[in-house]
Amino acid sequence: MSINADQKKPFSLRFRLVVLAVLLLTISLGLVGLALDAAFHRSSEAGLKARMESFVYLVLAATEVNDDGVLVFAEEPGDPRLNQPGSGIYASLSGDRDRWTSASSLGINLPEPVQIQTGKTEFTTASDETGNYYTFRYGVSWELPQGQMLPVTVTIFVDPQELQPEFHAFRSGLWQSLALVGLILVLAQVILLALGLRPLRRISEDISGIESGRLERLEGSFPKELEPLQRNLNHLLDTEQANQSRYRNALDSLAHSIKTPLSVIRSSLPSDGTPKTVAMENAVADMQHLIATRLQRAATSARRSNAAAVDVKTQLERLVSSLKRVYSQKLINIDVMIEPDLAFYGEQRDFLELAGNLLDNACKYGDGQVRISAQKLDSKDSRVGIRLQVDDNGPGIAGDEREELLQRGVRGDERVEGHGLGLAIVLEIVSAYHGEITINQSELGGACLNVSLKTR
Amino acid sequence: MRILVVEDDSGLQTSLAEILREAGYAVDVSGDGIEGLFFGQEYPLDLAIIDLGLPGLPGLDVIRKLREQERQFPILILTARADWQDKVEGLEAGADDYLTKPFHPEELKARVGALLRRSAGHAQPLIELGPLKIDLVSQRVFKGEDEIELTTYEYKVFEYLLMHPDKVVTKSVLSEHIYEEDADRDSNVIEVFVGRLRRKIDPGGLMNPIETLRGRGYRLNKPSGPA
Repeated sequence: MSINADQKKPFSLRFRLVVLAVLLLTISLGLVGLALDAAFHRSSEAGLKARMESFVYLVLAATEVNDDGVLVFAEEPGDPRLNQPGSGIYASLSGDRDRWTSASSLGINLPEPVQIQTGKTEFTTASDETGNYYTFRYGVSWELPQGQMLPVTVTIFVDPQELQPEFHAFRSGLWQSLALVGLILVLAQVILLALGLRPLRRISEDISGIESGRLERLEGSFPKELEPLQRNLNHLLDTEQANQSRYRNALDSLAHSIKTPLSVIRSSLPSDGTPKTVAMENAVADMQHLIATRLQRAATSARRSNAAAVDVKTQLERLVSSLKRVYSQKLINIDVMIEPDLAFYGEQRDFLELAGNLLDNACKYGDGQVRISAQKLDSKDSRVGIRLQVDDNGPGIAGDEREELLQRGVRGDERVEGHGLGLAIVLEIVSAYHGEITINQSELGGACLNVSLKTR
Repeated sequence: MRILVVEDDSGLQTSLAEILREAGYAVDVSGDGIEGLFFGQEYPLDLAIIDLGLPGLPGLDVIRKLREQERQFPILILTARADWQDKVEGLEAGADDYLTKPFHPEELKARVGALLRRSAGHAQPLIELGPLKIDLVSQRVFKGEDEIELTTYEYKVFEYLLMHPDKVVTKSVLSEHIYEEDADRDSNVIEVFVGRLRRKIDPGGLMNPIETLRGRGYRLNKPSGPA
C-alpha cells in the first residue's frame, strides 16, 4: 500500500498517543509540583513560626526590667545566632521608652518597631511592608513595683534567606522526582501501546497475508473490540470471493454456450472448399481462438491464488497419463524430471493448463520423445515460483518463427496453426504470473520451451 | 460400427448424427445424461461420444458409471471447456480422448476412426488382408492396384469383421452393430451382405477370408502376417 505523496500522512496512533500523554503528564505533574511546593512553603513557614516563637521565649528569658522600667539584658541571649552579626535572625524588644535589638542586627536596618497588645501574637511573612523579613511579634507586659504595667513587644525578624536553602533543596528534589515519574509514565505508555496495539499489527500482517495469497480469511481470535472489524473484513472477502466465482462461472457458461452453436455452424458447413465456405470456416476459427484466449485471459486475471500448494509431481503425472491415453497410437515417451517435493503456490487450474498445453504441443509436434523438467525459481524460497522446461524431438521452431509466435500469442487476434492456440494460452498464463518464456533449440533435436512463473 | 451420441444441444446432436451416418456409422442419440447412461448400458456399442455438460447426469458421471459397469467401448468426450483440468478429469474418469468445441467435422471423423481402430488393436489406418488393402480412413478396399467397389452396408459388415478378427461374430451381433436401435433388422439381409461381400473381395473363392460357421456365425481369418 502506498500513500499519495501530496496527501499529508496522518500521524501514527502511537505518535499521537505518546504526544498527548506527554502533554497531559507535563500539565498534571506541573500542577502537582506547584501544589506540593505551596504546601511545603506553608509547612516550612509554620515551622519557622514555631522556631521564632521559641526565640521569643529565649529573649524574654534573657530580659529583665529594673524597677525604673528599663530593659536589662543578659549577655548571653541563649542562642549564639542572636549575637552573631548578620546571622539572619534578629530580635528586638520595644517598650514605651526604650528599644533593644540583638547584637546580630548590628549594621542592619530593622523596620520601625510596632507595638501590639499584651498577650497577642502576630506573624507576618516576608513582604515590602515588613521590610522583607519574617516577623513574629509577641506582646507582653511587666508588672513594675509601683503596680504599673510595662507593655513590651518582642519581635523576631528572620531573613527570608534563612529559608532559601531549604526551599531550594526541596524544589530541586521535587522537580527531579516529578521528571523521573513523568519519564517512567511515558515509557510505561510506550510499552502499553506496543502491547495494546499488537492485535492491530497482527490484523495488518494477516491482511498482507491475504494479499499475497498466504491466507484466505482473517483467522484466529482477536480482542473483542476488533471482532467487528474481523467479521466485516471476512464478510467482505467472502463477498468478493463469491463475486469472483460468479464472474468465473459466467465466463465459463458464456464460453460453453458460444462454442456449441459454433460447433453447429462448423459441422453444417459443406466441405466443398469454395471461397465462401473457407471464409466461414476462417471466421469460426477466429471466434474459437478469441474465446480460447480472451476468456482465458479474463479467467486468469480473476485469479485468486490460495495458500494450498499444488504438488507438481502429482499434477504432472496426471497430465502424463492423460496424454499417454490420448496419444496411445503414437507411442510417446514422456520423461518427467522434477525436484522432490516441488510445489507450485498458484492455482492448480493454471498449472494444469500451462503444463498441459506445453506437453500437448510437444506430443503433437514431437516425434515420440518428450521431456519435462521443473524446479524452483529460488533454491532457498520455494514460494517464489517455479520454472518449467519442455523439450521434444520434433522439427522444432525456426529462429525467426520463435519471436513471431510469441508476438502472435500476445496479440491473440490472429489465427495461428500448430503451436499457436496452445501457446497463446500459455502466454496468457505466463504474463498473469509475471513470468518469462523463451523458445530454443532442444538437445533432443526439437523445440525447447522454457517458462517461469512467479507466485510472489 | 455403432456409435452413441449424448449431446443436449439438439442442433449439434443432429449435425453430429448426420456427419457420423454419412461416414457409415450406425448412430444412436440421446439428449440427457440419464438416458445416455441407459443406452450405454443396454446397447451393443462400439463407441460413445459424450458431452460433459449434460442435463440429468453430468457427462463425467455417465462415463464413470459406464466404466464401473465394465463397458469397455472407447469414449470420446465432447466439451466446450477446453481446460486441461477438465480434460484430465474426463480422461481420469475413463474417457479415451477429448474433442473441444467448436470442432471440425473432419477432426471428429478422424478421432472416431482412430479410437475404433485403437480398440480393435490396429495402430495403422491401413489393414492388409492377403492381397487386400483396406483403408479405414477413406473406407476404400483395394486388391493390388484395383479398387473394389462396396456398398455402404457391405463395407460396414466387412469393417466390423475386420475389427474383430479371429472371433466368431453372430448374424445378430452384426446386425446390432450396423443398424441403429430403431431400425428394422432382418438377419437374412446379413447373409445377403456377406454373400455379396465374399463375391466382391474373393471372386475365385481362393482365400475364403470370411468363414461361415454353420449355426454360429462368421469368422474373419487373418492370413499370416501383420494385420
